[in-house]
Amino acid sequence: MNTLLKLASTSLMSAAMLASPALAQDQIRTLHLLSRPQAAQPAEFQAMQLIAQEWRKLGLDVEVDVMPWEQMSDQVWYNRNDWDATAWQMTGRPERSDPDEIIYNLFHSTTAESGYNFIGYANPEYDAVVEKQRVTIDPDARQALVVEAQEILAKDQPNMMLVHPEQAFAFDKTIWDEASVVNQSGIGIRNTWTWLSLAPKADQKDIIVNSADNVISVNPLYISGVTDSWITELVYDRLFRVGPDGLPTEWAAQSHEWRDDTTIAVTLRDDMMWHDGEPVTAEDVKFSYEATTGGEAPMYSPFGKGISGIEIEDGNVVVFSLTNPSASFITSSLAKINLIPKHVWEPILADLATKEENAESYQEEMPIGSGPYKFERWITNEEIVLSANTDHFNAPKAERWILRFVPNAEAALGMLRSGEINFLTDFSGDPQVLIDAAAADGDLEVMSTVDIGFRYIGFNNRRPPFNDPAFRSALSSAVDRRLIVNAAFKGFAVASNSVVSPALEFWHAKAVVDNFQAGADVAKSMLDEAGYTMVDGRLAYPEGVKETLGD
Amino acid sequence: MNTLKPVLSRTLQLLLVLWAVVTILFLMFRLMPGNPLAAYIDPTFTLEQQEQLIRQFGLDKPLLSQYFTYLGNLLQGELGYSFRYRTPVAERIWLLLPNTLILTFSSLIIAYVFGILAGAWLAWRRGSRAEAVSLPIVLATRAMPEFWLGMVLLAIFSFSLGIFPAGGTRSAGTEYTSLWALYTSADFLSHLALPVLTLAIYSQGLPLLLMRSNMLDVMKEDFVTMAKVKGLSPYTIVIKHGARNALLPVMTSFAISVGYQLQGNVVVESVFSWPGLGRELVSAVSASDYPLAQGAFLMIAVVVIAMNLIADLLYTLLDPRISHA
Repeated sequence: MNTLLKLASTSLMSAAMLASPALAQDQIRTLHLLSRPQAAQPAEFQAMQLIAQEWRKLGLDVEVDVMPWEQMSDQVWYNRNDWDATAWQMTGRPERSDPDEIIYNLFHSTTAESGYNFIGYANPEYDAVVEKQRVTIDPDARQALVVEAQEILAKDQPNMMLVHPEQAFAFDKTIWDEASVVNQSGIGIRNTWTWLSLAPKADQKDIIVNSADNVISVNPLYISGVTDSWITELVYDRLFRVGPDGLPTEWAAQSHEWRDDTTIAVTLRDDMMWHDGEPVTAEDVKFSYEATTGGEAPMYSPFGKGISGIEIEDGNVVVFSLTNPSASFITSSLAKINLIPKHVWEPILADLATKEENAESYQEEMPIGSGPYKFERWITNEEIVLSANTDHFNAPKAERWILRFVPNAEAALGMLRSGEINFLTDFSGDPQVLIDAAAADGDLEVMSTVDIGFRYIGFNNRRPPFNDPAFRSALSSAVDRRLIVNAAFKGFAVASNSVVSPALEFWHAKAVVDNFQAGADVAKSMLDEAGYTMVDGRLAYPEGVKETLGD
Repeated sequence: MNTLKPVLSRTLQLLLVLWAVVTILFLMFRLMPGNPLAAYIDPTFTLEQQEQLIRQFGLDKPLLSQYFTYLGNLLQGELGYSFRYRTPVAERIWLLLPNTLILTFSSLIIAYVFGILAGAWLAWRRGSRAEAVSLPIVLATRAMPEFWLGMVLLAIFSFSLGIFPAGGTRSAGTEYTSLWALYTSADFLSHLALPVLTLAIYSQGLPLLLMRSNMLDVMKEDFVTMAKVKGLSPYTIVIKHGARNALLPVMTSFAISVGYQLQGNVVVESVFSWPGLGRELVSAVSASDYPLAQGAFLMIAVVVIAMNLIADLLYTLLDPRISHA
């Protein structure tokens, strides 16, 4: 009996030995994909489930780990070595109309340790291209470099780009003249230009908009939230503004002139007043830029970082000297930094300099700007009222701009129909519901726009198997983006393969998106080519690569 | 002396409860996953800026020392600074509390006046067809979720009939010189109508059913039979003799209901965009603004505990048969 058992076990051992050549290749561990919960981010959650399903078809073991944003951002941002792949999003902001912020900060190797390149992508060839576009002032030459950067990303797939969402807004066309609504490229009809040009048709001259989120602060030195910036953009002027076409246009600047690659002279308009009646001077402009970089406004300081000196000439010309040539300087600094009155802020900043708090904790009782709307009052969690600054060089056609806080999306839509609001600027519900409601109502106009922002999966480029571009490309190719657009975003999105949105027509590399091939067979052949094989029904690393992170 | 002693012992008990609530709140928010400031530290911050913010909120200190600082501050009425608004929590709570109290008390008063009268009437009409119809309706309103009821009322009275506005406490852009001017304006009352109606419908069931069953008990007592024999009118029997005696437990349930109502406000304030404490609580929790959420929870706990104390004391005062001795 004993000998029989021995015999059996030796034969088993030899069988195992026979199979051993295959075991030289390590199976890939269970991969974890992070997503926010369905209740908070239904589209993201749905997309991650679909993607995990497609990846499993390649022989991978994939788990979707669902967690709230606080936990997810903590893990991804502060524990950069400890995750595999995560759902992520970049939101569209006017200053992102210049591609520099996205293509540089998200992928340049210097921002990998603690900056926006949390995925840890490092490619010297790419670094060189994005550094060069930064200092190339000639638009056509720079365009070629921006396209080249997108091509490198398409080849390397450091991220798996999913979609650019479409945003839908609506207004009452019996109150507002449709022709006066401005559709800003990549931002939509909810923008400063619309608030300036919107022309009333009848007696209602108040623009009443809604937001589900509370405003945190009205502070020219603090970027406290998306809704908050609607207000600061109206109360404060800037030297330039990003125009409806996505390109910067002169605003408080009368004219400007590049004296050389690192010197720009801006002539200030002479017809501007602060809301308290004081004139706006070149001293105020200089003060505004020094305030942002002076250490009391951490969130704004990156936008003024490239400035090495500011001089005033002839009383109304402000000359900025830059440390390096910067192609995006006008969009990312001059169209970004708010002009603030020196006589108001100088004593405040002097006082703050002696305290632990900085300017971000400071809320003025009555914010004073020079912008096209004046701050009137703020009733906590209820509304913020601005009134038209009729003395402004670009005075609004409406009388007031009123923001109401409405946490309930269905109620917001109902209010639009009943007239309690007349411009729907925030709608988190199903866009189709909005379109159907508008069709039923007859008085409403819905307009949707492709966003500058995008949704994607960040691969942790530091960790195998995601350190292999072939593996990343295969995973990206495994998913048909039309599935994501239709099933997760209900058709209100466009498929993406580039971080530069098609809304930024001049910079967007269309070919990169058009040439993208997707499907399980495409992905499998890519993996095959790169040496990945199946071992016992699971995908394994190419020969010689060991799994070091297994559970 | 005799009445003071029970009051003191009850107050001490409730202070103990309050301390337990405070401690649980403290631990609850600190044991949640993730860095509490993660949502507020912008990715563009330097390490030094992040550390400064963490220092500013005292999050660099050990848990026990944080706890004692927290208790010490509470004793001085100091609720800390909101992560999100960077302003004192107490300031924000005081701004929003009046709106919540108005909503709570006006809906409860309506619910109790209606509930008491209808309950007494139903007890009088025991076994009638009116009772057969009304009781299931009352039970149904007790079972309706408040947000659903709120949405239905919105759809009917605001979006279809256009009688009442759908949200806020005032029409867009109207200015009032004082809180009093606001609360006495027709504009405010029309905005108050739907949220109050929702809460009142939701909460009238308890006083109604309680009043009815108490009345049924009271009506069996000898002095009622005596009144009937004397040939007194039904009004005198039900209201003067019956209801006065049946009212006692209903009054104490009013005090306790204030606590439940505050909890109901969380939902109703969100549905009707009401700028109150309940909505603030929801947004503070979802934005991980722990000091603010903690402060709002604490304020609600204090009101509930205080109302419990009042209910207890009221009982001893109103009914001499009950004493704490």
